[in-house]
Amino acid sequence: MKLFKNCLFAGLTALSLLGAANVTTAQETDQVGRAPYLEALKGKKVIFVPISQGMDLNQSWVVVWQRHAARYGFSLEVRDPNGDTNAGIRAMQGAIAEKPDLIIVQNPDVQTYARLLKQAQAAGIKVLQVNMQSATQTDSYVGNDWIEMGRLEMGELAKHCTGPNAVSHKVVWLAGVQTGAANIYMRTGIDEVLKANPELQLVSDQPADYMSEKARQITETVLQQHPDLCGIMGIWDNAEVGAGAAVAAAGKQDQVTIVTNGAGSATGCESIKNGLLDVIFNFNSPIQAEIAAQQISELLQHPDRQAGSEKTIFFGPITRVDKTNATGRNCWKLDELK
Amino acid sequence: MELAGSGKSDGARMGIKMSQELVVVAISVILFIVFSATLNNFLSQGNIIAILKNVSILGTLAVGMGFIVVGRGIDLTMVAVMVVGVAFSIWISTWGVDFTLAVVCGALLAAAIGLFTGIMVAIAEIPPIFATLAIASSVYGSGRIVFASDVLYAPSNIAWLKFIGSGTILGIPMVVVIFGAVAALMGFFLRKTRFGRLVYATGDNPNAARTTGLPTRPIIVTQYVLSALIAFTAGIIMLGLVTGIDTRLYNSSLIYDVLLVVVLGGIGLSGGQGGVRNVIVGTILVGILTNGMTILNFSYTSQNLIKSVILLGALAIDAIINPRDEQTSQSGDI
Repeated sequence: MKLFKNCLFAGLTALSLLGAANVTTAQETDQVGRAPYLEALKGKKVIFVPISQGMDLNQSWVVVWQRHAARYGFSLEVRDPNGDTNAGIRAMQGAIAEKPDLIIVQNPDVQTYARLLKQAQAAGIKVLQVNMQSATQTDSYVGNDWIEMGRLEMGELAKHCTGPNAVSHKVVWLAGVQTGAANIYMRTGIDEVLKANPELQLVSDQPADYMSEKARQITETVLQQHPDLCGIMGIWDNAEVGAGAAVAAAGKQDQVTIVTNGAGSATGCESIKNGLLDVIFNFNSPIQAEIAAQQISELLQHPDRQAGSEKTIFFGPITRVDKTNATGRNCWKLDELK
Repeated sequence: MELAGSGKSDGARMGIKMSQELVVVAISVILFIVFSATLNNFLSQGNIIAILKNVSILGTLAVGMGFIVVGRGIDLTMVAVMVVGVAFSIWISTWGVDFTLAVVCGALLAAAIGLFTGIMVAIAEIPPIFATLAIASSVYGSGRIVFASDVLYAPSNIAWLKFIGSGTILGIPMVVVIFGAVAALMGFFLRKTRFGRLVYATGDNPNAARTTGLPTRPIIVTQYVLSALIAFTAGIIMLGLVTGIDTRLYNSSLIYDVLLVVVLGGIGLSGGQGGVRNVIVGTILVGILTNGMTILNFSYTSQNLIKSVILLGALAIDAIINPRDEQTSQSGDI
C-alpha cells in the first residue's frame, strides 16, 4: 500500500513538472540573443584571400571557419592565388567588386594589398586580416604578435649563446621573405634582444624564402665559416628542417640550437622528435582560427557599423614547444580538426 | 653533312665553343681566387664539399636540361616533374605502400609525363617552350589538387634515403656522387653511343636529320622521358638532403637557374652543340658564386639580381659567338 502511495506521488510530481514546462513560453527556452545572432550570420558572404592554401596554417584556418560557416549558415569562399602576388591582386579586386559582407586576407607583404584594403573599406566592406598584416590597418587583425615572436626566438638563443658555458656567441637569422610583415616585425624584436645582449654576434642574416633546401644550403655554408656556431633562428618550422638537416649532417646537433616558429602541426613535432629542430614557438593556428571565427561573427553581427570605423587587434597564444611537450594539442593533425 | 658539321670535325665551331666555355672557366677561376683570398675558410675542404653538395640538385637538373637543349628543345617541366613525382611517391607511401615501391611508382609517373611531353613535342609538333610550359603548369596544378599540403615529408626510417642524404663514398657526399654518376652516364651516352650522336644531329638540323632518314621523333620522345627521370632523381636527392619536398619550388626561380647553368656553360639554345662538360662548368660557376655571396651575406634578392645579370650576359655572349644565321632562324628556334 505504501509502495502504491509512493508511486502515485512520484507520478503526480512528474506530471506537474511537465505541466510547468509546457506553460513556459518559447521565448524563455530560446537562448538569449540566439535568434538575432542566427539572423545576422545567415546568408552572409565571406571571401578569404590567402597567400597559399598549401600551407598547414591556412588549411587549419579554413577547416575551422568552414565548420563555423556551415553551422551558422554564412558562405565562405576561398580565392587561392597559390603564392602568386599578381593572382592575389586580381583575387582581391574581384572580391571587392563582388561586395561581400567581409573579406578575410592574409597579406603576402605589407605593401601589395595596402591600397586595395583602403578601397575595400571605402566601399563599405569589412576586412579581417589574419597573421600577416598590411601597412593599412582595417577592422580587425587576428594573428601573431610578430615583434614578440622575434623577441622570444632570439631570447631563446640568448639563453643558450651567452654566458660562460656557451660554445660561442654566434647566431644566425634565417629570414623568410624580407618584405613580409612577419619578417619586418620579427626583425624589430630580434634587434631589441641583440641590443640587450651585445655579446651576441649575428653572423648571417639571409632569407631562405620559406624553402627547406635553401635553408639547408645557407646553413651548410655558414657552418663552414663558423664551425663554432651556437644558434639558428628561423620563421617557419617546415623551412628550418633544412637547417636542421645541415646541422645534423655536420654532426653538430648538440652544439647548435635551432629555434623557429610554426602553426603547431604534427609535422613540426615530428621534426622536434627527429632532432631536426630544438624549439618551436607554436602559435597554434586552430586557436588563431577560433579567435578569427569570433571576429567573423562580431563583424557580421554589426552590419550598421561603418567599415573601418573601429579597429581591433587580437594576438593569439604562443606556446614554447620542445622535446618535453611535443604532444597532444601542441601537435594537431588536419583530419582531427574536421 | 649536318651530322658532320655538328661533330668534332668542324674545327672552327669547336674553337668558338671552347672560347665560350673558357670564358666561364676563367670567371670561375677568378672568383675562386678572389674568394679564397678574401673570405675565411672559403678554401677549406669542408667548404669545397659544401659547394659541390649545394649544387648537386641544380647540376643534376642541368644535365637533363642540357641533354634536351642539345637536341634543340627546352624542358620547362623539369621542376614540376621533380616535385610532383617525389610528392606522389610520398603520397602513395602514406597509404601503407612500401616506400621503395612508392618511389618506383613515382619514377614511372615521371617517365609517363616525360613520354607525354615528348609526344606533344615530337608528334603533335608543339614548340617545346609552349608545350613544356603548359605541361609544367598542368602537372604542378594536378599535384596541387591531389596533395593536401605543399610540403610532404618522407617516412623517417628509410635507410637508403638517409644514406643518400648524409652518406659518403671515399669522403665524397653521396649526393655529389649521384650528380657525378648522372653527369658521367650522360656524357658517355652523348659522346660514345650512336643514339647520342643522333641527338646532336637532330638538334643541329631536325629537318635535315629527318630527310636523311634518322628516327627524329623517337629520339625526341626518348629525350623527354630521360630528362623527366633525371628530374625525378634530383627530387630524390632533395628528399635525402632535407627529408621532405616542398612543391612550391615550382613557383621559385629554380627552372631559370637550371637554364642559366646550361646556357652559361656554353650549350647554345639553337641546339646541336655543347655537352655535359659545359653543364659542369656552368654549375661550378653558379656554385662558387652562390657560396661566395652567401658567405658575404648578400640578400636573396641581390643574389637573384646578380645571377640574372650573369644569365643575360651569357645569352648576349651566346648571341655574339653563335650568331643566328639564315639557316638556324628558318629551321626554328626555341
